[in-house]
Amino acid sequence: MSKKTFPVVVALLLLSVLLAACGGSQASPAPAAGGQAEAPAAEAKPVTLRLLVHQNPPMVEYMQAFNEKFQAAHPNIKVDMAVVNASDLATATQTRLTANDVDLVDVFGFSNAVQPYMKNVDKPNWQQLIEAGLLADLSGQSFVGNYAPASNQDAGTYDGKIYQVNLGRVVYSGIYYNKSLFQANNVAAPTTWSELVAACETFKAADIPCMTAGGKDGWPIFVGAYGLIGSIYPDQAGLVEGLWTGNIKWNDAKSLEMWQKMKVYTQNMMEPEASGIAGDAAPGRFASGAVAMFAGGSWYASAIEAANPELDWGYMPFPGSDNAADNKYLFGKYDQGWAVAANSANKDAAMTYLSEFSDPANYQAFVNAVGFIPTQSSATLDTLIGKEVAPYLENFRVGYEQYWIAPKGAGEFANPWASYFKPFGTYDDATELANKVQADLQAGLDAAK
Amino acid sequence: MNSPISRQRRPINWGKVASYALMMVMALVYLGPLLMLLNTSLKTMPSFSRDATALATELNFQNFAEAWKRANFPRYLLNSIIYTAASTTIFIITGLFVAFPIARKYVKGAGFLLTLYVIALFLPPALIPQFQLILNLGLYNTPHGFILLFVVNAVGIVILVSSIKSIPKELDEAAALDGCGYVRFVWSIILPLLRPAIATVVVLHAIGVWNEIITPTIYLTNEKYYPITRGLIVFQGVYGSQWPTLAAAVLMLTLPMLVLFLFLQRYIVSGLTAGAVKG
Amino acid sequence: MNYHFGRGFSRWIPYLLLLPGILLYFVIALGPSIATSIYSFTDATGLKGAPVNWVGLDNYREFLLLGQAAKNNLAVLGRTLIFSVLVSSIQFVLGLLFALVLNQRLWGRNVVRTLVFMPVILGAVIQGLIWSLFLYPLGGPAAKLLELVGLKSQFLGGSPMEAFLWVVVVQIWANLGVTMIIFLAGLQTIPSEYYEAASIDGASGWQAFKNVTWPLLTPSVNTNILLNVIGSLQAWQLFLVLIGYRAGTQVLGYLIYATGFGAAGSLTQSFRQGYAAAASIVLFILVLIIGMTIQTYLRRREERIMA
Repeated sequence: MSKKTFPVVVALLLLSVLLAACGGSQASPAPAAGGQAEAPAAEAKPVTLRLLVHQNPPMVEYMQAFNEKFQAAHPNIKVDMAVVNASDLATATQTRLTANDVDLVDVFGFSNAVQPYMKNVDKPNWQQLIEAGLLADLSGQSFVGNYAPASNQDAGTYDGKIYQVNLGRVVYSGIYYNKSLFQANNVAAPTTWSELVAACETFKAADIPCMTAGGKDGWPIFVGAYGLIGSIYPDQAGLVEGLWTGNIKWNDAKSLEMWQKMKVYTQNMMEPEASGIAGDAAPGRFASGAVAMFAGGSWYASAIEAANPELDWGYMPFPGSDNAADNKYLFGKYDQGWAVAANSANKDAAMTYLSEFSDPANYQAFVNAVGFIPTQSSATLDTLIGKEVAPYLENFRVGYEQYWIAPKGAGEFANPWASYFKPFGTYDDATELANKVQADLQAGLDAAK
Repeated sequence: MNSPISRQRRPINWGKVASYALMMVMALVYLGPLLMLLNTSLKTMPSFSRDATALATELNFQNFAEAWKRANFPRYLLNSIIYTAASTTIFIITGLFVAFPIARKYVKGAGFLLTLYVIALFLPPALIPQFQLILNLGLYNTPHGFILLFVVNAVGIVILVSSIKSIPKELDEAAALDGCGYVRFVWSIILPLLRPAIATVVVLHAIGVWNEIITPTIYLTNEKYYPITRGLIVFQGVYGSQWPTLAAAVLMLTLPMLVLFLFLQRYIVSGLTAGAVKG
Repeated sequence: MNYHFGRGFSRWIPYLLLLPGILLYFVIALGPSIATSIYSFTDATGLKGAPVNWVGLDNYREFLLLGQAAKNNLAVLGRTLIFSVLVSSIQFVLGLLFALVLNQRLWGRNVVRTLVFMPVILGAVIQGLIWSLFLYPLGGPAAKLLELVGLKSQFLGGSPMEAFLWVVVVQIWANLGVTMIIFLAGLQTIPSEYYEAASIDGASGWQAFKNVTWPLLTPSVNTNILLNVIGSLQAWQLFLVLIGYRAGTQVLGYLIYATGFGAAGSLTQSFRQGYAAAASIVLFILVLIIGMTIQTYLRRREERIMA
């Protein structure tokens, strides 16, 4: 047996070496073609525009359609779009920008630059990218003017220059609720914490799980409870400064109330099985109609609609306080944006792409597809989620975690994450957890002194 | 497998009964997951949401069509085969000419060179400088750059060296007297004699390359270069919640590998153990 | 050593042919490993164009000494050791047991051997997907089994300790085949006459194992211990595939990748390749000390048995 197999295997190996060599030579013309585009008369020359985006099904679907359209209008430009999982986006951005292997990258809104009162911190990765000269300055490009100046300032500017056009905001401190289940069980949409607690008791008594979230990824549990942090600390930038200066502590009386509510949220409201549901599976779980509520961000809306168009749902701010007036805020962040690689040989093509992408009609279609709150003033909120969040938009605030940078030496628990509670984590006692979180933060603050 | 084992007569067979029982458990633990995968792949998503474990009644082959359509699995498979075979071949050929003179001390400092290879057993993968290296060579996001990363294997060299040592040195002398040149001697006499050890090294190396997940994430960004590991991770990113489709995809990738394995099994297993036992 | 294949130019042929292999080894493996230690004294980010500054021992100081983060890192180090001890010891015992069972003349043993070895061929991604499905908490097979005995668990999404232990289980399941096959090969080298002699002497099954099998299995035992211990100290792929980067579950290998390549969860996390390189060196030292100690011990043991 083995005597006969050996030559066969060797032959196979040699064959594949030949194949590999062929594959290599076929591959090489592509980058060369990109390089030629630098000449002034580039319009006619073939260009391959390399895009990097993160996985988000409705967005990717829109992008594919848009790219088709764009290529048809510009026969000399071929769009080569790579899609990576969100968790790989930072790695891919880092490696591909360094290798000068990408022209347009998907970046998130800038908001957590290092503040003067912060000591002993690492710069956030987008700041590193800009300082390394890897992102192109977009100031003065005409398409930048399509976006609201406030958005360009808050999400795209660093050191006086604009490095990204941000494509929209998302809110994440809200709850999706199943209107039919609410009606069937005679529950009104809760506007205070006690009403929320009572609603959950009603559903559980009827054998309906109260809430779900994508607990397998950890962060959705934290994000789902964001309203609890927000209702107690509506001034989010102030919260970051307070934590750094010691005026606010994660175990002071105010925070303790938050932790106690988080315990109720994780242990009495959330279905325990949520821990096995991945972030992108949670909307499907809610859309199936089995669960009354789903604590999550506005970006899930299109997935819910895709999974079950019949479902009658609404979206409300997470009522973290017993005073309804404290619950009128929606917290969120600037989501996806576009940045251009500074060393790109295809800058002209990239700018053309962004101009067309930013065209108000195209942009409106994009916003409708992904459900963002638009950053172009002329765009409207046509989607259901848009209508649901519209009444609260004047109270939109960027969430604290967008500003937060932990001091070096802070422990891994130095965040107000509801997922530290059982069954997602190991803690059962609110005070004990609050003390641990503050101690982990304090260790970093002390080390910075 | 065809080694003679003397038939042992036992008056009471309870030992064998226990052995069979344990074998059943083992088979279940290892076969169960495959059956579960098959079952899931035949379900529709709503039926999976209703009951993830219940037997599939609908035989929904749509999942396979869907997975086949959505991902370029034949391409990924071909890439994996190319990367594995090419890097293994280059490694074996260059490695043989490293291991032989070291084992025979035909080069100065042979002992020192061997130590350098032994040390590598403990080294953590040098991800970061390697990345800078490939980048500066202009081999980022190219198939040959990716293959280059896998053309060395220190453990393989150590196994080859110890196997060559067991071949009598008199052979060299006799061959040389017959007028056999160095290259021809290594290639046509040592290589065939080393067959078991080379099989071991080929298998160890090939499995390692085939299953690599981090390197493709870092080095291969173009979808047409993806090996199956990377392709599957990306596919999971899109269909992570649709277990039936995902299970169909996994099965489609598992089957050719299992067939290949069954075909070469005897060879792989005897190869894997031949060198390992001598240590 | 006498060289028989000619003089003059011919004497240089071995050197010439050795060169490509050695060069590749230096450029791809050894060189980068040495460079890692240099990186570990800098604040390199891995980004082209970013300045790289010499920071001395700062990375090591931060990793091992600074605040609560250092304590967390030491916990990761400890977890890496626990993972290695659990995986290598259980894999060793089960692998030996399976090999002993499957070395008997039993109907269907070849099928079972193939099955146990199968996950090695499938690789970490497929292993991870299979187990994520098995451990699916909303009515997956494991959840159903637990339900039968009235228990409930969140498996990979539950407490960090439980998630960690599941990775141990999957790691053993996945690599048991290799351990078993190496033992099987060792068992097949033991001449059957030894057992016949032992049974004539009236030795029980246990005595035959203790006096014949175990000592003669020494080479396989050594190979397995060394392979399993070093392999499990460096393994982390299943953590990535099964749970992702989650506090309270990571091992050192994952920490290095996540800090060096910005994959630790937060989307704005900074790139810190210098710091990650320092962590790599810590892992290297750990593996070196443990590996050398075990190897020395095993060699002495082998000499004692052979004597």
